[in-house]
Amino acid sequence: MSQLLQPDVLARAESLGLMARRVVEGLRVGDHKSPYRGFSVEFVQHREYVPGDDPKHIDWKSYGRSDRYTIKQYEQETNFAAHLLVDGSNSMRYGDGATNKMAYAKLLAASLAYIVIKQRDSASLRIFDSAWRAELPASSQMSHVQTICHKLEAATPAEKTGTGALLEQLADRVSRRGLVFLISDCFDDVGPLLKGLRHLRFRGHEVVVFHVVHPDETEFPLDGSVRFVDLEGADEFMTRPHLLRPSYLRAVNAYLAELRRGCETSGVDYVPMPTGRPLAAALGEYFVRRLQQGKA
Amino acid sequence: MSFLSPLLLFGALAVAVPLALHFFYKVRYRKLPWAAMRFLKLSIEQTSRRLRFQEYLLLALRCLALVLLALALARPTWNAISGSGRGESIDAVLLIDTSYSMGASDGELTRLDRAKAAALSVIDNLPNNSTVQVYACADRASFLGPRTPSNLDQARQVVNGIALTSLAGDVLPGLVEAEAALDRSAGTTKEVYLFGDLQKSGWEPQAAAIRARAAELKRRGTFVVVRCGSPARSLTNVAVTDLTYPGGIPHTNSRVPVSVVVKNTGAAVATNLTVTLEVEGQGGDKETGTIEELAPGQSVPVTLTAKLDRAGLQLLTATVQADDLPGDNRLDRLIAVRDAVRVLVVDGAPNIGDPKQSASHFVTNALLPVSADQQSEYHVRVTVVAPEEAGAGLLGVNDVCILCNVPASNSDRPGVPGLSADFVARLPQFVREGGGLIVGAGDNVSAPGYNQAFAAAANPLLPFALTEVVAAPPDKPLKPAPDSTASPSFLSRFKDEPFSTVTAAVDVEKCFGVNESSPGGGRVLMRLANQQPWLTQRTLGDGEVLFVGTSLDASWTNWPGKAGSYLSLLQLTMTHLVGKTAADFNRTAGDKLSWSPPDATRSYDLLKPGGGRVKVGVPSGVAGDKLALTTTDTPTAGLYRYAFEGEEPAGQGLFAVSPDLRESENLEVLSDAEATELLGFRPVLILAGPDSAAELTTERGKREWTVWVLLGLFAVAVGESLWAWFCGKAW
Repeated sequence: MSQLLQPDVLARAESLGLMARRVVEGLRVGDHKSPYRGFSVEFVQHREYVPGDDPKHIDWKSYGRSDRYTIKQYEQETNFAAHLLVDGSNSMRYGDGATNKMAYAKLLAASLAYIVIKQRDSASLRIFDSAWRAELPASSQMSHVQTICHKLEAATPAEKTGTGALLEQLADRVSRRGLVFLISDCFDDVGPLLKGLRHLRFRGHEVVVFHVVHPDETEFPLDGSVRFVDLEGADEFMTRPHLLRPSYLRAVNAYLAELRRGCETSGVDYVPMPTGRPLAAALGEYFVRRLQQGKA
Repeated sequence: MSFLSPLLLFGALAVAVPLALHFFYKVRYRKLPWAAMRFLKLSIEQTSRRLRFQEYLLLALRCLALVLLALALARPTWNAISGSGRGESIDAVLLIDTSYSMGASDGELTRLDRAKAAALSVIDNLPNNSTVQVYACADRASFLGPRTPSNLDQARQVVNGIALTSLAGDVLPGLVEAEAALDRSAGTTKEVYLFGDLQKSGWEPQAAAIRARAAELKRRGTFVVVRCGSPARSLTNVAVTDLTYPGGIPHTNSRVPVSVVVKNTGAAVATNLTVTLEVEGQGGDKETGTIEELAPGQSVPVTLTAKLDRAGLQLLTATVQADDLPGDNRLDRLIAVRDAVRVLVVDGAPNIGDPKQSASHFVTNALLPVSADQQSEYHVRVTVVAPEEAGAGLLGVNDVCILCNVPASNSDRPGVPGLSADFVARLPQFVREGGGLIVGAGDNVSAPGYNQAFAAAANPLLPFALTEVVAAPPDKPLKPAPDSTASPSFLSRFKDEPFSTVTAAVDVEKCFGVNESSPGGGRVLMRLANQQPWLTQRTLGDGEVLFVGTSLDASWTNWPGKAGSYLSLLQLTMTHLVGKTAADFNRTAGDKLSWSPPDATRSYDLLKPGGGRVKVGVPSGVAGDKLALTTTDTPTAGLYRYAFEGEEPAGQGLFAVSPDLRESENLEVLSDAEATELLGFRPVLILAGPDSAAELTTERGKREWTVWVLLGLFAVAVGESLWAWFCGKAW
């Protein structure tokens, strides 16, 4: 098993189960309810026939009992496609060891892929920066997990981020509604990013933003004289960071608040994922929250 | 400003540390690839200018703190000049007022006692390695010691040995000496202490010079005025200011009336004053009088009598009872007592027809105010001669010569006999040897002749050269102006009643003019109302010449008829001329005592009041003068006596030294505000007393402003901390 698949992470995630927030349509019957009622074996309810309904769906037995035209509705279980979008821009290089944002994002993506596929759902992978750098189509085969992991491991951060435009592209390209996991530090312009997310939502996707940030970036606990080198540009600043801390935190918190508020108003799940926190705990907490919200 | 530890100023170089750290941190940094650069850029844009200001201000505060620390360690002081490497040592100059007003009681102690205690306190509180120079300061300043300025024990002994003088106070000589003393000292910090009572008479007469000197002392060091005696305490003081002899010339075998002039110079009315007059000190004749009441400023003569048994110099001592200021309660006076006084009157215009209208008659009557049968026993013996009878030998047997309207020579007034050439030639010697000469004018006096005979360089007798006779119409005669009487002079009483009124009533129709600009050393004793000199005087050797511009008879003036003026003036003049021999032996404290002893080959000692005896050596002098013993070491009133070295004093060589009465004329003292105004700056003013040591220490502490620098450092440190906290900087 790939090193990206840590047993404890997977075990905990598996036990909790991964339930899609909404009923999504799928190619195969799974644990998820389909929003398309009327075609499957599991009866849900009757409803009154209205002009336009296919007459073949009329429940004639019910008509015999009530002398009214009713249509029998069924709920069809289906599987879904989870789209894993992993930010592979240079800004994801920050952090050492386990707190490296890219490593954290890879682990998170692999874990999500494993959980999804093990539930007989399909998962696709896209690694991007300012463009799509690697793509794997959706598949529900367990072997696809390995493929995803290999792809993730091979990914090396490069280029600047351009998330918003790519999400717009994705919304246009993926017609079938599914679950989109965006794993990124979101160090991008908030406007285009939210626009892309809203576009996905508009297409009926459930969107979850896993915001991977390093504690240094949100707490700024640095001191001494530091020459900051931009990971995605040529800027360099020499300063004493403890002097800037208050204003830096104000800027960061304003950005985070704007991002969170934008996600909430767009119906996007915003999940902060500080790399200083163990992934199992963060992911587990997310799943618990979903269950508490009564989401399947 | 200077520093007690100037080397520690190099500590200010530590200011390089924060500067170095500042630049060190600028060049020493760690490189950090950073993802959230957009927030960092935003933060830098918002805060960089403010941060730079904060950082530089903090840097400045830290540098300032280090500079202040170095400054504090160097111990800055005011009023110090270039350092000598003796640390905080002080070169102190102590000026101690020894004028006799310092003998005034101030509670249980005298002002001088308080001055000495305060001076000892100053010495005790001097830092290690300090030096002291002690000066006595009155109308002159004298160095008292110690020989080695760093010997503070010796300085204490010197201070303890300081004695009161009878001199008048004057601050200026002390300040001059202090300035010179500061020049000689090479210490870091210099202090000049003036211990005195701040009596106005010692400050105000030379205020401008004192101000300039004090400012110079202040510039060179610290000028501390230690007031000795409470300014709020008013003194009661009565002084014996003079002894006069209203009875005329003191002579033997009589009780001579003596006026003891007593003046209340204190602030309160003195009552029931006992005035005592003694002859020849203890054991001699003694008489006492009483003054019931004497108001402040009032001066009264108390007439007592003294029985004079022998001719020669005799000592009269007048005392008044003790008061707050004992220095002027006693006055010693030597008077010349005569068995007889011989007067030669040369009358140039004897009135044969009516002798009573001749000048010699008026003069004789004035000199012999007794009946004809008593004249032979009277102590004044008058010999009247005509000019042609006046031989030079007569001058040798007379004490006073009076020329009444006498031509200087036969050629002055054709037909009128004049003085012989021998007589004229002998006159200067007669005067130089102590004779008195009175010259009265008249029609027989020729200005050219007199000028040639008595105003020439070889024969300088007249006070001034004579000019033309000024004549006034009979209905508008000239009048004497008693107010113009020179003071001090033996005629100064003519300013007062009754002499002034009667003299002012004299009519003068003619009076010789004199050339006041002519050389010769004359002096105008009294003028006429038109400012023309009337009575002029000149001292020559041991004698004196009085020239009367008008006649001594009634031809030019009605003065001989004004007995209150004419007789009194002649009597006073006679007393003065005869007593002049004693004048050289009556001196004021501080005066030079000069005496030509009969035996100039032996060595002499000087016996001082109080029993002190110092060797003065053999008489000395320049060629042509008599050899004389001279001393100026006469600070104390009393009797001084020259004696053969190691022997008891003989009768001669006795001097009566009186206190300088200028000291007690005005006992007012300067207030602090007046002293400040007079000096032009506020000196360190301390009242001598139990707390003076603490005050002096406090004052010295004030000059070292290390504590202020430390306070500044504290403020900067607090400011730096607050600013660092405000800026979020670490220490």
